[in-house]
Amino acid sequence: MKHTDLALSRRAMLGAAAAASLGATLPTWAQEKAAVQFATLLDFTRVYTFLTDEYSQGQQDYIKLANLEGGIDGHPIKMIIKDHASYPERGIAAYNEAKAAGAVFFDFLSTPVANALMPRCNEDHLPMIAFAHGRADAADGEAFPYVFPSAAIYRSQAALLLKYIDEHEGGLKGKKIAFVHIDSPFGKEPIELLNRVAKTKGFEVKLYPYPVPGTEQAATWSEVRKNRPDKVIIWGAGPGQAVSIRGAVTNGIAPKDIHSVLWLSESDMSAFKGNEVVGVKRVTLVNTGTDNPILKRIVEKVVNAGNGSGDKKRVGWSGYNIGVASMAIAVQAARQAVQKAGAPLTGEKLKAGFEMLKDFNAEGLMPPTTITAKDHQGGGMGIISEWDGKQWTPKSDWASAYQDVVWDLIKEDEAKAKEKK
Amino acid sequence: MFYRLSGVHHTRYSQTRQLWPIPADRWQVGLLLALALAAPLYMSHLYLSSYMLPWLIFSAATLSLTLLMGLAGQLHFGFAAVMAIGAYTSIHLTRAGVPLEIALLGAGLMSAVIGCLFGAAALRVKGLYLVMATLAMQFLVDWVIVNVTAISGGSVATLQTPKVSFLFIPLESLNARYYLALAWTVVVTLLILNIKRTSFGRALVAVRDKDFAAAVIGVNIFKYKLLAFFTSSFLGGVTGAILAFCFYKAVTPSQFNFDVTIQLVAMALVGGLGSVIGGFLGAGFVLLVPIILLNLISNMVSSGWLDISTSLMAHIPLMLYGAMIIGFLLFEPLGLAKIYDNARKYLLVWPFRHTQS
Repeated sequence: MKHTDLALSRRAMLGAAAAASLGATLPTWAQEKAAVQFATLLDFTRVYTFLTDEYSQGQQDYIKLANLEGGIDGHPIKMIIKDHASYPERGIAAYNEAKAAGAVFFDFLSTPVANALMPRCNEDHLPMIAFAHGRADAADGEAFPYVFPSAAIYRSQAALLLKYIDEHEGGLKGKKIAFVHIDSPFGKEPIELLNRVAKTKGFEVKLYPYPVPGTEQAATWSEVRKNRPDKVIIWGAGPGQAVSIRGAVTNGIAPKDIHSVLWLSESDMSAFKGNEVVGVKRVTLVNTGTDNPILKRIVEKVVNAGNGSGDKKRVGWSGYNIGVASMAIAVQAARQAVQKAGAPLTGEKLKAGFEMLKDFNAEGLMPPTTITAKDHQGGGMGIISEWDGKQWTPKSDWASAYQDVVWDLIKEDEAKAKEKK
Repeated sequence: MFYRLSGVHHTRYSQTRQLWPIPADRWQVGLLLALALAAPLYMSHLYLSSYMLPWLIFSAATLSLTLLMGLAGQLHFGFAAVMAIGAYTSIHLTRAGVPLEIALLGAGLMSAVIGCLFGAAALRVKGLYLVMATLAMQFLVDWVIVNVTAISGGSVATLQTPKVSFLFIPLESLNARYYLALAWTVVVTLLILNIKRTSFGRALVAVRDKDFAAAVIGVNIFKYKLLAFFTSSFLGGVTGAILAFCFYKAVTPSQFNFDVTIQLVAMALVGGLGSVIGGFLGAGFVLLVPIILLNLISNMVSSGWLDISTSLMAHIPLMLYGAMIIGFLLFEPLGLAKIYDNARKYLLVWPFRHTQS
């Protein structure tokens, strides 16, 4: 290392060519011939901090387990993990670097970065996973052949909540539903879907946006209170979610009437004491807890063996398990790709491997997911779970909801985008 | 010795008034320009596309901002919005079939007009109050872009840049995009260097130092404040368009949000307000140093020198980066440009000790 440091400072002295000084710092990943490289370029430091640590921990632990269990047909998996702080330009740089290092699979976990890189991944024929982030129309495999959301997109999640209210909470007809959302593209994504379903099911949707970053929602909630909604759907992420729940509860909305998007974690809920928020419902795309064969093996072979990648108590949390699931999908796709087309694994082969996934449920961790060349969402299934004061307990079976409306909207988005070109 | 002054006799006004009167400076600029021109030959695709290209474009953006903040003394905390207006204007114009050359001009003009509207606040307020006015611009423009679907193409949309060519050269290859960005950066650099020594530039400096004193000596501060906003916003708008077409190849609102404004202000401040070389150094520092530090640390981790968690690995570069900013500003409050200037002045008279200033 000393040598590198010296080389760096000497070159930096020249000052003239800043780019030259970068030469000393390129990652020199040992090139094992058989290793398959997965790049998870995440935001550890800025916007997605509420999730990234847990998520990355889950990914790393799963890859360690997968390597213990033979990797991909004997090829070990190597992870390239980098921080891009949700800045698109740093994401692009990190992507180019990982690409040059030979990565064949990418995960960015940041909507701005993922959106900036989707066209590049398509051009370079390198698959990326966009598990619960990124633009909605990426679910269409024909428009984005190399982008794999691989789980229910946000509109599908809103649909799941509506269906649950319809089937388990006394029907949608004539109900007043308040949609309290962060005033950002992510927060607005489900609005179209809510309005469409409202027309056919005969309920009323009222929109209550609150400003980014969502730490101040008092005015919004007093507005909600005035209108006395029957059900509330909250749509945000990170620190804003706990604020939303606090706002709802202090304005007299019963916890059982609060429904949330996927991003409502154990740490958000642990901010409340006692039974204050028992009954809050949430979309769940990946089972939580460690009561699952994969998680049991991770605990046994990785965590208890002292090789865990982070805090032990987070094993089994929502974000952790989402990380595990994201890598389980990718590893399964890679295994199928190598079995079918042989090593070395390339972007094209991996894409085909993804599209061979049929009813894959990661040993019960996820809904049965089938990805085809057309449908990269994989069916849009999820469950609704309820907070019981300690953890999320499932209240329904894996199912999908109003997928026809979801796909109509995707197709309309595409048509609009084409018109613009 | 390094900057030999003896034997350099300027016998004409044009010689003393040239941009770099000392031959050593001219040599260095020429060398840097040659290096930049030849960059596609010796730089890998990775360095050219991920470091060199954004560095050049952000340097141009910093220079546009430093014209306003450094020369004219008008604080602007909405410069990313100015660039966003340029980027969106150019992309919509090219999609409507307008050639890129004209679309760039259109982008500049649109930014300049809207920038002037908000800059008009500068006629009444100064300092922190102006910061608030321009901050309002940032949030208003962001809000309009996200909420007017005719501009953003939908709340979650990314607009891809259409296939375009500049002066009959298609902007498909990396080299073409690099040279366009380089050309624009050179134009902005020369423009600002020259503005600094015209009556316009001197008027701006007078306004910066004390605007009513400037009015007393006959500078029309109404005109010059607006002109400063106009010029700077025009350059910023075109730079935004260049950023969209040459680097991102797409436009989304998040590419021009408030964080980018802060980054740009940091580039101008760390580099040295009002300095041209500071624009380049500041952009390089803010853009590239975090990446270099991150690569260094992750290198150390992957080669087994450091045993830390991934999260800590991501945060150590930030701590170092923060420490570096504080360190540099303590060492030289006037920015990186001043450090360069000190070194140059020292070398001007080396091996003697006394510097002429």
